[in-house]
Amino acid sequence: MKPYDDIDRVVERMLDGHEHSRRQFVRVLAGAGLSVSSAGLLAACGGVKGESSGKKASASVRHPKVPIGQWTFSNWPLYIDKSVLKAFDKKYGGHVQYIEDINDNFEFFGKVRQQLSRSQPIGRDIVVLTDYMASRWVRDGFVTAIDQANVPNMVNLVDNLKNIAWDPKRNYSLPWQSGAIGIGYDRRLTGRKLHSIKDLFDPKFKGRVSFLSEPYDSAGMVMLMQGVDSTKASLTQIMNAIDRIEVAQKAGQIRRFTGNDYTTDLAKGNLWAAMAYSGDLVQLKADNPHLEFVYPDEGSMQFTDNMMMPAKAAHPYAAETMMNYVYDPQVAAKIADYVNYISPVKGIKDILLKSDPKVASNPLIFPPANIVARLHPYPSLSPADERSMEDRMAQVVGG
Amino acid sequence: MTWDRLRTWLLGGWSGLALAYLFIPIVIVVLFSFNNNKGRFNFTWQGFTFKHWAHPFADPDLALALKNSLAIAAISTVIATALGTFMALALVRYGFRGRGAADLFVFLPLATPEVVLGAALLALFLTMNVSTGFVTIVIAHVMFNISYVVVTVKARLEGMDPHVEEAAQDLGAGVWSTFARVTLPMIAPGVAAAALLAAALSVDDYVITSFNAGQTITFPLFIYGATRQGVPPEVNVLASGLLFVVLILMGLNVLLQRRRARRDHDAVEGLPIAVGAPATG
Amino acid sequence: MLRLSLRRRRQLLPYLFLGPGLLWLLIFFLVPLANQAYVSLQTGDPEAGYVFGWHFSTYTTALSDYHTQILRSFGYAGVATVLDLVIAFPLAYFIAFKAGRFKNVMLLLIVMPFFTSYLVRTVSWQLILSDNGWVVGRLRDVGLLSSGGRLLATRTAVIAGITYNFLPFMALPLYVSLEKVDRRLVEAATDLYASRTTAFRKVTLPLALPGVFAGSLLTFIPAVGDYINAALLGTPNQYMIGNVIQAKFLNILDYPTAAALSFLLMGVILLAILLYARALGTRSLTEAAAA
Repeated sequence: MKPYDDIDRVVERMLDGHEHSRRQFVRVLAGAGLSVSSAGLLAACGGVKGESSGKKASASVRHPKVPIGQWTFSNWPLYIDKSVLKAFDKKYGGHVQYIEDINDNFEFFGKVRQQLSRSQPIGRDIVVLTDYMASRWVRDGFVTAIDQANVPNMVNLVDNLKNIAWDPKRNYSLPWQSGAIGIGYDRRLTGRKLHSIKDLFDPKFKGRVSFLSEPYDSAGMVMLMQGVDSTKASLTQIMNAIDRIEVAQKAGQIRRFTGNDYTTDLAKGNLWAAMAYSGDLVQLKADNPHLEFVYPDEGSMQFTDNMMMPAKAAHPYAAETMMNYVYDPQVAAKIADYVNYISPVKGIKDILLKSDPKVASNPLIFPPANIVARLHPYPSLSPADERSMEDRMAQVVGG
Repeated sequence: MTWDRLRTWLLGGWSGLALAYLFIPIVIVVLFSFNNNKGRFNFTWQGFTFKHWAHPFADPDLALALKNSLAIAAISTVIATALGTFMALALVRYGFRGRGAADLFVFLPLATPEVVLGAALLALFLTMNVSTGFVTIVIAHVMFNISYVVVTVKARLEGMDPHVEEAAQDLGAGVWSTFARVTLPMIAPGVAAAALLAAALSVDDYVITSFNAGQTITFPLFIYGATRQGVPPEVNVLASGLLFVVLILMGLNVLLQRRRARRDHDAVEGLPIAVGAPATG
Repeated sequence: MLRLSLRRRRQLLPYLFLGPGLLWLLIFFLVPLANQAYVSLQTGDPEAGYVFGWHFSTYTTALSDYHTQILRSFGYAGVATVLDLVIAFPLAYFIAFKAGRFKNVMLLLIVMPFFTSYLVRTVSWQLILSDNGWVVGRLRDVGLLSSGGRLLATRTAVIAGITYNFLPFMALPLYVSLEKVDRRLVEAATDLYASRTTAFRKVTLPLALPGVFAGSLLTFIPAVGDYINAALLGTPNQYMIGNVIQAKFLNILDYPTAAALSFLLMGVILLAILLYARALGTRSLTEAAAA
């Protein structure tokens, strides 16, 4: 797929335009800052007061139409066809600054938490976060409500995602892509077909296996292997699963804990089997046909990444226009064709059957019904439980 | 005589190997900018092509990120080098109360983990209601670069004869003259090396910048995500491009050096005092 | 312009030189750091808020929980620093004494790899050192690696990564202090019948010690807190204290522990610097040299 158009002159003009439209405010520190009393300064820093201020963003809101200027869209890497952004700019004017700076939900949250808890803008108009982090932001009032009048294409949202416990009317979030966690492996190196999560613990693959560092993913899968319904898991069951992972790590079974970066190792043969995200394998197979992805027999964890507007976002209308744009089935089909994850938009399979039948018939992108029945969403945990889980997993992962 | 020649060759050989070692991954980076990758990932060699070099700035955000990084590096290097050089002079040349403590204090930023440094600085900016962006990045970069500059320039100053400056002042040179025409040329290699280090650190910084950048995007911030999964070809191209530009500037500098060396050589000959002349080849 | 006597002006000079830089560090480093000290003595969690209470137990708990990683970090950084010294010293010597007009070129070459990103360089090493790559293959042929052996995800890879990434920090200060060694002192020594080795040992080396001191510290100190090499090139068994602090800060949001660990790290490093300075006797050396 050729993601770039030939518009050098436009680019050059845009490069210059950026400098002029940027405004930087810096208050003189000598006067304002240094005269702040030290006690006040210290108390205000470091987030002394709790972050859940209890106030939820108001559910009904109007964002009137304004010209779209420069706005910012933060997303995970390799999660969009860049030509979609160019087409959007062309159609609606302005320029979307697209930054792929979300690599891990907690890492991103850790970076912007201070601004959020002080009700200050984080410089982003759309962020894309996985369910467990999205629900936290909604609960803590870190998001701006969506003016659904600006997003009529919302009706195209697939039925099973229309309601979700933490955002029943989709007032604050809109799914971006879904995916499943399974096993990616090199058929040549493993010597056989894999089909179960237990295969990751096969001593024959010692030191050649990777797990995901996020416990929602890893512990979730291991719990499925242990016969527990991950969606309804208790903290004890989660901790048991992490214990099981720790045993394997200490025995040298697990080579690494990764985020998305198992891809290099898998492609190079450093890893024989990896706990992997479905979308990555579609692309990896293009370079290395020996790689396979399997939805394990016991089931798979399903994740959904959601678009949200952070609180105090400066350009909500632009953000909503983009949300509406990507829910147009034509555009959604284009994105799915590039990203190869499970799209939340209805009706794109038919479009793709005509334009790219290989993608349309790919079970990783359009899983058949029996697979869908085995997909498990994440459990919803209290913040304290979530922290215990992350802490325990960090000990295993070495952090 | 032959011992000397042999030693020179051995040293040269070792240096060559050391430089080669430094450049091994760079060669890979440049090489893979010409990779004809079919899929999205870029870690299996699939043939030679110029296609990625055709439109290196096709992504305006990537180009802007690079521009920002270079601008930030230039500005922060100048400030940090100036501040740090003067600090080093104070710490080495003069005895004053609190010198020992100041000496140790300078090492503290080096010892602080970047995560803590970045987040703590952000807390300061937020409390002072300073909006994060280009300026705050520059402030942060100057902050951590000062220590590197001080330590490097100190290494140059320590053991240098201070009597030369005293002699110059006894001969009637004012403080500024002494500094500009005696001290500065003597420590110039130290200052240049420190500036080089500071620039490299600034261009490369990720963690501290990611906290204090606001909406401004620098090159490391832009590529961090995608690079975790394997360096995308556009990044290879830009990184290689940057190297080539630096190489060209270097070549120009060598030419300039030759011209200046000839002029300085004539000037130095006239001085009555033997300034600690740098070891010439 | 005040009419100050030369003497008075000279007295004020150090403060004038020190002032701006120190002020910058005070505002943008010390104040945030002081705040972190405050945070390290708090307890609490992100939901309920944090409460200050002189909780020194945070420090003791952190020390007992993570002393392995702290020691490991010092070990890795120490080995890498020594390796860097060995690699960089002849290089710096060559540039200072033998390179002539190519001096600046070579210096720039040392720093140039930095202008690609840290991450890009480390990922390139991942490619080069991959299990089925050329390098590992030859090492297996030669017998340095067992037939199933690997370089990546080992302690060797992590230390090699640290060594590689910090080489310029060692080389540049070394060069800077070697370059000022007056050739004539060395010649004088040999005129007095000292061998080249003795001349090196008794003249060049002591004069280069400030560079060794500076280079080792500029390498060792940041290396101890490094996290990226361990994350990309190692397994959890190689994770360093930097990884722990990173996780505590970003993933678990346990700010008091992260801050406490940072201060523990800083404290030990400062101690190490003092001991090192004493061992090298840098100060007395420079006084003697300047006399």
